[in-house]
Amino acid sequence: MSASVDLHKISKFANLAIPSLAGLFFLGGHFVSFYFHFLTVVFLILTIVNLFYMFVQKKHAILRNFGILGQARYILESVGPEMRQYLFASDTEERPFSRVERSDIYRKSKGVDSASSFGSQLNFDNSEIKVRHSMYPSDKEDIVQFSLTFGEERGIEQTFTIRKPYMVSAMSYGALGVNAVKALSRGAKMAGIAMNTGEGGIPKYHMEEGGDLIFQMGTAKFGVRNEDGTLNDEKLKKLAAEPSIKMIEVKLSQGAKPGKGGLLPKEKISKEISELRGVPMNRDVVSPAHHKECVCKKSTVAFIKHVQDVSELPVGIKLCVGLTSEFRQLVEEMMLQDVFPDYIAIDGAEGGTGAAPKAFMDGYGMPLMPALYSVNNILTELGVRDRTKIIAAGKLINSSQQFMALALGADAIYSARGFMLALGCIQSMLCGSNTCPVGITTHDPDLQRGLVVEDKAKRIVNYVNGLEHDFYEMLAASGIRDAKDINIDQLYIPNDTALADQIEYLLEKHQSSLIS
Amino acid sequence: MKPSKLKPAQRVISWVLQLVIITILGYASYLKLSDHAAEIDLFSKLGMEPAGRFIIGFIEAAACVLLLLPNAAVHGAILTFGVMLGALIGHSTKIGFVGMTPLAALLLIIISTVVIYLRRKQIPSIARMLN
Ligand SMILES: Cc1cc2nc3c(=O)[nH]c(=O)nc-3n(C[C@H](O)[C@H](O)[C@H](O)COP(=O)(O)O)c2cc1C
Repeated sequence: MSASVDLHKISKFANLAIPSLAGLFFLGGHFVSFYFHFLTVVFLILTIVNLFYMFVQKKHAILRNFGILGQARYILESVGPEMRQYLFASDTEERPFSRVERSDIYRKSKGVDSASSFGSQLNFDNSEIKVRHSMYPSDKEDIVQFSLTFGEERGIEQTFTIRKPYMVSAMSYGALGVNAVKALSRGAKMAGIAMNTGEGGIPKYHMEEGGDLIFQMGTAKFGVRNEDGTLNDEKLKKLAAEPSIKMIEVKLSQGAKPGKGGLLPKEKISKEISELRGVPMNRDVVSPAHHKECVCKKSTVAFIKHVQDVSELPVGIKLCVGLTSEFRQLVEEMMLQDVFPDYIAIDGAEGGTGAAPKAFMDGYGMPLMPALYSVNNILTELGVRDRTKIIAAGKLINSSQQFMALALGADAIYSARGFMLALGCIQSMLCGSNTCPVGITTHDPDLQRGLVVEDKAKRIVNYVNGLEHDFYEMLAASGIRDAKDINIDQLYIPNDTALADQIEYLLEKHQSSLIS
Repeated sequence: MKPSKLKPAQRVISWVLQLVIITILGYASYLKLSDHAAEIDLFSKLGMEPAGRFIIGFIEAAACVLLLLPNAAVHGAILTFGVMLGALIGHSTKIGFVGMTPLAALLLIIISTVVIYLRRKQIPSIARMLN
């Protein structure tokens, strides 16, 4: 961890100091001079406010956890835009999410009107993709309600249909604390969207809320593994039979650390974690970089088939694209074996994670937009686009970016951090250190206290409603009646973008292959 | 930043209460600043005569003015709350609970609390959190 200020400790000190000072000044006022009571009064008021913040109000996690000192954050934050505008960076410069992007989500999740004034703060030069509208917008009444059925291509019995184009992307219990998992699961259920469990093993807390779940099988297969890390068919069968579990996702790789496994140190393996994940308590557990069963295209496709057969549910795969040629070969192998996953989730290199080596986070994998374009292109070219669905993930937190992903071939949208922001994430980038100040990615009960499940679940609902509202507005503006008709023609793609490069690259390759 | 608006009913209640505070507090301030004998007696007991009497008198007058301004009323109420908390401390430790003054102080504390509650969204540090 960095040597930053430990707000938690300081605030604990302050919370003791304030009432103590009030007492001290009271004594001063009583025995020395009544003038001390000016200070007594001030500190008494501070004490009252502090108690109110920590024990009565429930809306603001920061204030519940840190009391009056936490207020400093809001005050600093509120002068931040000015400070940054005049002194430091602009509202559009922060990464991964700029203030402009984040505040849109905060407003949506709080159900506040999101109209803005005077003009956009984004670029209109050659660096940004925009959506094209039509001169003839469609009437909202004519627009078909969104609907997508996973597993319909294979004609299986237990298909899964979503009616909103969003799903909560994988975040494990482990990366997230209990309260965050509960708030997310409850919110997702209330909003009517499905949620991915992440690779945290048996999704006990998710299932308690009873919403629709996509069980993620990571490379270590937590929850459904044998001692040696191979798949335990019985465990998978049992889990797949749970009413909440609607789909299974085989994770091949993830944008934040493609080609990389992970390590769960034995210190972090509590009794509960050991049970849920199905690992011993006294040993470090390695998440390998790939599934034991998947060592080549042939075995990978065979493994997908195996999971489909055992679970009898729609089974998708999640990957971050590295070599497009490898992906093409994988699809060709699928055609050969006549086995297709029920969806392919493409995670852009810009994806987030609880913890990953910086080199991988910053330097590996294809960014979403070009990757998505290539994947859609390859599937279409090989004539099998209708055999599977595509889900896109990677900073798709705002309506317009989501629309762009749909235009590039995605059928639905995954987001992880969008929902974290809706939960009150303030992008303090401490997910891996167990000190998340808003109690989302921490197991510290003191910090989780600030995250009130019921209140934050409603924010998820508001966020989804806000996105859905925008979605239909945008469909109308593009003159489209059915979300299935969104396509790349709806995008304005300037030459300098990564996407334009990829399009050109594939085009050239295609032409040269025609010539040779 | 524009302070957030109150609902009509809340606004009426708040203004009535503000006027009640202004009446009582304004009178108290007038007594202090005009060297009223009872006040001199009181502040002698606190050991604050005469400076303390004038300071408190001025603060009370300032609170009255603030309570008359729509955008600053909440600050006037907070000031009232503070001064009356001090008054209660004075009565309970030095002066004793005699006559109308401690009762008036208690009443003002309650009323100013209600005003603060009604206008809480106008407190700048809270308003910032709502953005
Ligand atoms: C805290 C956190 C935990 C995550 N855990 C997992 C995980 O267990 N498995 C996985 O495949 N992806 C995981 N991800 C990646 C996300 O599912 C998602 O693919 C990625 O963050 C891109 O979406 P976003 O930009 O909307 O966040 C995690 C991301 C975050 C931020």
